[in-house]
Amino acid sequence: MLDLARMTWTFLWLSLICVGGGLGVIPELQRQVVDQHHWVTAREFLDGYTLSQLTPGPNMMVAVFVGYRAHGLPGALLAGAAMFLPVSILTAAVARHWETLRERPWSRACEHALAPIGTGLMAAGVYTLARSGIHDWATGSLAVLAAAVLYRRWLPPLALVVSAGLAGWLAGL
Amino acid sequence: MARVRLRKLLQVFGWIGLTGLGAGRSVYFHDATVVRRPWMTNHEFIQDLTLSQLLPGPNFSNLAVAIGVRLGGWRGGAVGAIALIVPGALILLAATVLYFRAGLAPHAASAMHGAGAAVVGLVFVTTARIMGAAIRRGRDLLVAGAVFALVGPLHVNTIVAVLLVAPVALWMHRPRRAPRS
Repeated sequence: MLDLARMTWTFLWLSLICVGGGLGVIPELQRQVVDQHHWVTAREFLDGYTLSQLTPGPNMMVAVFVGYRAHGLPGALLAGAAMFLPVSILTAAVARHWETLRERPWSRACEHALAPIGTGLMAAGVYTLARSGIHDWATGSLAVLAAAVLYRRWLPPLALVVSAGLAGWLAGL
Repeated sequence: MARVRLRKLLQVFGWIGLTGLGAGRSVYFHDATVVRRPWMTNHEFIQDLTLSQLLPGPNFSNLAVAIGVRLGGWRGGAVGAIALIVPGALILLAATVLYFRAGLAPHAASAMHGAGAAVVGLVFVTTARIMGAAIRRGRDLLVAGAVFALVGPLHVNTIVAVLLVAPVALWMHRPRRAPRS
């Protein structure tokens, strides 16, 4: 019970530092759920993130995956609620007053200052995922190939991830 | 006064929640609320998009809330969030149960390894594109680089890293008074 409360609290504060979208919080999320609390292994974490890419909705659904692993259905429900509810209320509250707030000079300063911080966090998220997902030359080559295919827009992202899964299955990665 | 009936909002956002896959998911909202329906202007959409990126939390659900509030007030925001989040959450939960209960056979593990490697390539390209659009000046690149180094290779706690870098970034972008004529 104590661990369930600890997990809910962890996802709640993680949602509040989720600046620049879901990817930015990945390093801290992995540190908390894998290294600190051992709710999932690093491999399971990457698989959970991959599943959240393959399913619709926000990719921070990985919270539901971790919550289920740690505490079953109540864990999934509480982790999901902690990840989405407080920030949704905050967004609704600010959205009501955004028209007037955004004209203030410091709002603009925050807007400009947070953009590079958010992108830096996203880059750290890529680094964290790469450390779990690339462990030999085959997975490394697949990642580079996937990046090239996506960059040239030869395939939409979902088709690309599914194709790579098929390739992994055929090659027995 | 709500611009859009809640039932209609639930229907449209629910469909986005069910079909919104892949990178650049905000495109689905733009298509549904600006291109296909005259619910809001392009300018209003960009305002809500900026807000959703500025505030903490997953951008996609924040955007649903911001647009929901604009179109239907508080209740619109609540309906927007629920409609967007619940379908995907249920699908992922089903996939999660299968993942752990089925114990992932070796072949499925191979498929997940392949898909996981592609996701790394996918997030790399997405991040590079966003960085290319968001970072215009050398000093912003410096801020992004510092955050990356601290949180990534140096394993500094994210809150500590942001608290260290944010004051510097804010100072760089502080409001300046117009010069007196």
